[in-house]
Amino acid sequence: MIKMERINKIYRPQSNPVHALQEVSLHIEGGDFVAVMGPSGSGKSTLMNVLGCLDTPSSGTYWLGGIEVSSMNSDQLASIRNRKIGFVFQNYNLLPRMTALRNVELPMLYAGVENKKRQARALDCIEQVGMLDRIHHRPAELSGGQCQRIAIARALVNSPDIILADEPTGNLDSASSLEIMHIFQSLHRNNTTIILVTHEAEIAAFARRVLHFRDGRLTADEILSPQHLKKTPLPKGGEDI
Amino acid sequence: MSLSESIRVALDSIRANLLRSILTTLGIMIGITAVIAVVAVGQGGQQSIMKEMEKFGSNLFQIRLDWRRDELPSGTEFTMQDIEIIKANVPELEYLLPCADTYSQVKAGNKAKSAQISGTEAGYACLHPLEISTGRFFSDSDCQSGRRVAVIDEELARELFPRSSALGKKILVGNQALLVCGLFKAESSPFAMGIKFVYIPTRVWLDIYPDGGISYIEGGTRNPAEVKTAMQSSIKILERRHRSENLYQGVDMEQQIQAVNKVTGVMTLVIGIIAGFSLLVGGIGVMNIMLVSVTERTREIGLRMALGARRRDILLQFLIEAIVLCLLGGITGMALGVGGAFLISALAQWPPLVSWATVLLAFAFSAAIGIIFGLLPANQAANLDPIEALRRD
Repeated sequence: MIKMERINKIYRPQSNPVHALQEVSLHIEGGDFVAVMGPSGSGKSTLMNVLGCLDTPSSGTYWLGGIEVSSMNSDQLASIRNRKIGFVFQNYNLLPRMTALRNVELPMLYAGVENKKRQARALDCIEQVGMLDRIHHRPAELSGGQCQRIAIARALVNSPDIILADEPTGNLDSASSLEIMHIFQSLHRNNTTIILVTHEAEIAAFARRVLHFRDGRLTADEILSPQHLKKTPLPKGGEDI
Repeated sequence: MSLSESIRVALDSIRANLLRSILTTLGIMIGITAVIAVVAVGQGGQQSIMKEMEKFGSNLFQIRLDWRRDELPSGTEFTMQDIEIIKANVPELEYLLPCADTYSQVKAGNKAKSAQISGTEAGYACLHPLEISTGRFFSDSDCQSGRRVAVIDEELARELFPRSSALGKKILVGNQALLVCGLFKAESSPFAMGIKFVYIPTRVWLDIYPDGGISYIEGGTRNPAEVKTAMQSSIKILERRHRSENLYQGVDMEQQIQAVNKVTGVMTLVIGIIAGFSLLVGGIGVMNIMLVSVTERTREIGLRMALGARRRDILLQFLIEAIVLCLLGGITGMALGVGGAFLISALAQWPPLVSWATVLLAFAFSAAIGIIFGLLPANQAANLDPIEALRRD
């Protein structure tokens, strides 16, 4: 599903170069559930931006679902983001003036899905995250956990190849965090590819595979034992690694 | 994203900042209101001038001595003999009237009123829409024999003879007593300005005012198409008889209409330029608020880009918002402008003329302002970097 070869990302190459990613090569199979861990400044945000086609690497190649995306222009990248990637953000990024339903429909507007199909598909995805009773609420009328569930539904509507979640539980209490992680796990069981960025080991523990980053380099690639996948309740206020 | 969806998003965002949007559109609204109202009133005024002029008939012309000359050579004044000779030599003519005007006092008993004293002949009543309500206009034989008769307007009659009918009574003009032989309905035109009229035979007029002369000649043809030839032949005869050139000037209706159109055309242009400036200011207001909107919604733009909006989707979204904003101002302005036109016209007593062309032009103009002044903010939004934009608070 994802193949990266010797990806480098250098900011300000002329004046004061910062090597955000250095020679990163990785391979992620379809249907996998991968956590990306690392302290701040480790390059995990840059990796997410490149993986999410929001940014292009300075060098190296990146294949997403068999397509080389590392040299695409901005319109082509927009189309890839729209059809192949579902984003889940730490701060949900729902549009405050729109209802939950309209927020979920948003990616389909840019995909040109017709009105009737759009609504049916949105309701389908909202059902998957258990929010059917809140479709006409605006984000301000929903709790953080509910907002994040709507955001996950939005990430699912265009049936993307991968879900990219950037600290999805960062703004949530432990109970809501657990609910969100259970949703990701059930998506994983349905063979959705999920890449999750977190700095909390307890959250990373829900994944099948964990990639560790430090100073822009991939330092460790561990496969978690199936026992690790057991549903353990999170300790209150989950600690940093 | 489809157009209807873009419009929906634009309306959403306008609704979210309602007060600000209304204040922004105010500039456009006032500009469009001014254009529509002024143009409608102007065109209405022009049309009522035209109507007024059309009453005089398209088969009519006048010949006057060049009023721009300070001193006219002697022996060039119109004479009664000129009239006879032109009549005999220009077959197209149906009427040819020697006319003279002055403004003077009319007395009856102990009352005195000012009025325009016009000397003319019987044909006048046929060339002009004069509605005789009592009695009759003076006849050809009245004119030939120089009978002391007068036709006066009803309002003047009422003022001079408040208790009884003026018909058959004597009025005093200059030193002559005249018999009122007919009354006509005073015109209710916005241009009459309350002036009273007295018509008397030209011969009588020349008796009363021996120092004055025939001030102009009025001619009428059977066929409106022959006005120009009849007028030119008459002028030629006059020039030959008085041995002078370029002294007698003919005016027909067509020329007068052209003159009016020229004046109103210049006025419309001047007003258009002023209104254009007010719309320019309104457009700058729209641009300003759209720039604020882009800054405020940077994160939304970043999110939309992350979800798959292309640069042109973002560009179009903000452009449409600017256009919708301007059109809202434009449409309100149109409604207010039409209303204002009716109000002003009610006061000025002529009908407003709201043409489709004006309304469509105003509509197109406000849309154009939206495009022109929306382009910069929309372009700014479209060129945001999605990562940067998403990070913004």
